[in-house]
Amino acid sequence: MFLHGYDTHPGEAGFLARLAAGRRVIAPEHPGYGESSAAGPLHDIVDQVLHYRLMVEQWVGGPVDVVGHCLGGMIAAEFAALCPHLTRRLVLVDSYGLWLDDMPLPDPFVIRPADLLAAKFADSADAAKVPAPVMGNHAAATRFLWPIPERGLSRRLPFVQAPTLVLHGAQDGLIPVAYAEALAAGIAGAQCMVLPGAGHFPMIEAEDAFVAAVEGFLDAG
Amino acid sequence: MKFHWFAEASYPQLPADFRESKLSSWVDTPKRLADPHVVGEMCRMFIRLMQQADRDGYDGLAVNEHHQTPFAVTPSPNLLASALAHTTERAAILIIGDSLALYNPPTRVAEEMAWIDCLSQGRVIAGFVFGTPMDSVFAYGMPPVELRDRFEEARLLILKSWAEQEPFAFNGRFNKLRYVNLWPKPIQPKFPIWVPGSGSVETWDLTIDNDYCYGHLSFSGLHAAKPMVDAYWDYVARRGGDPNPHRMAFTQILCVANTDAEAEATYSEAVKYFYRNRYVNPAFEGPPGYRSTKSVQAIMGHRKIAESSVSAEDRAKAAAGELDFWEYDRLGYIIAGSPERVRQRVRELCVDLRIGQLIACLHVGNLSEEAGEMNTRLFGREVMPHLRDLWIEHEDRWTPQGIAEIAAKAARGAAA
Repeated sequence: MFLHGYDTHPGEAGFLARLAAGRRVIAPEHPGYGESSAAGPLHDIVDQVLHYRLMVEQWVGGPVDVVGHCLGGMIAAEFAALCPHLTRRLVLVDSYGLWLDDMPLPDPFVIRPADLLAAKFADSADAAKVPAPVMGNHAAATRFLWPIPERGLSRRLPFVQAPTLVLHGAQDGLIPVAYAEALAAGIAGAQCMVLPGAGHFPMIEAEDAFVAAVEGFLDAG
Repeated sequence: MKFHWFAEASYPQLPADFRESKLSSWVDTPKRLADPHVVGEMCRMFIRLMQQADRDGYDGLAVNEHHQTPFAVTPSPNLLASALAHTTERAAILIIGDSLALYNPPTRVAEEMAWIDCLSQGRVIAGFVFGTPMDSVFAYGMPPVELRDRFEEARLLILKSWAEQEPFAFNGRFNKLRYVNLWPKPIQPKFPIWVPGSGSVETWDLTIDNDYCYGHLSFSGLHAAKPMVDAYWDYVARRGGDPNPHRMAFTQILCVANTDAEAEATYSEAVKYFYRNRYVNPAFEGPPGYRSTKSVQAIMGHRKIAESSVSAEDRAKAAAGELDFWEYDRLGYIIAGSPERVRQRVRELCVDLRIGQLIACLHVGNLSEEAGEMNTRLFGREVMPHLRDLWIEHEDRWTPQGIAEIAAKAARGAAA
């Protein structure tokens, strides 16, 4: 199961197609995003996790590998902590969910467009490879990212039992690498891997390395 | 026709190059620019001016809530309302309003308004606001998509806490209170309630469904307001709401002097200071989820109509404080001049927009206290009495009963 980031669902992205070549991939669009129905009664992060628990129970009926990017990583980590029986292996990619007082994150809703571009991409030309968010997406994201993208995940990280890989773009200006290290430090046995030449979207900017790392990790289990 | 004295309590001593510095005047404006003694003197001046307004026959004294901005240093309107309740005698205390979603628990609003109602002998108008995005979702950190739900829950809790005579439990999504039992209870059995907005259709529904007074509070001028106010009245008609003009409040900057020339000499710099120093980082004005898609589309539609009557260049110059004084007047951002001229222009405005409650901005920017006194006196004594006949055939259910009686007496006097 791949859970997308705060901007938008990646659509038929190359990395998803490559992962799907050797395994079944479910890549739902979050409630309130794009064509999805409104978040409605899903008030908080637990509701959101239960939404995906229901999806996995009904569509798969057993444990899945969970890969989450950005906001999706925050939800994936919560899913792993709350639904250990449904989580086989966990991959967190440039994930939100923590807050480090001595390294405050930029505000993704206020940052100037030029700075946002520089924060997201190692090479600004790669911006064209990511679909633009549609109206309503960011509103849905504010449920978990506003005003600080933290909903208590650090207290629950010790409950993650699945083998975990934390992947991070070396040049992510939205979420510095230190956040990946903190995530990995909070989960027993987690590995942390930094991908060079990538910003916030390593699966786009360093697709080969990303796919190799994810497949290698999932296939090892 | 009712007239309420109002001013945005703008910090009067921003540096001359504030606009050029491109600093946002809201949310993250550097605090090093603030001298607390200047704020103290400013607050005392506003209290004095509003005490004068009470003596000069205004129907209400309006106070509002903003956060983290030199545009209006009024973090708690209830504090100022409290000072006025104690030192004025006849005008309504128009709290327009408290940002319901920001009080935890919101019974704080119910308690304070009830307390001020007791102190003022029943003169409170209860205003409920969502708050600007800068105030509510940035300064106070409310997730924008939760703001309306929080407002609505708080509104119901507050109304119930005023109405119920026995303790009750309230199990809301955001507020869980086992014992709600308001001390003090308000003097007025039912507060007049006003809800200001900036064109969201959901707010229009709220005011129509509950028979509230709607306030269009903006400083963007008549031309920007007209399409929205017209659309509001159309909407009221379509929904079968009461078209009584007294359920519509409107803000207007007024600059009254003995002559037109004196008006320009007295108010020009203060008007330009006011507009020049209101520059908000656009990201703070339009956070995702603050408005529904339906409202964003409606507001864009009104804006398009407005843009056909004021050029983009004039709008930009107005916002930068760069229009000529009389251009501000011509485009409806201000109404300026002698009492005769102002009378006529205000009458046209109120008839054209069907306004029964004028929120008269009689101090602006860095205006001196002396000029504020003159403005208050001339408008109160030489303009208002000539407009009291407006809408006299419509009952005003949106000001406290005691205030309405005073105004009715004045209107009968003017008609005779």
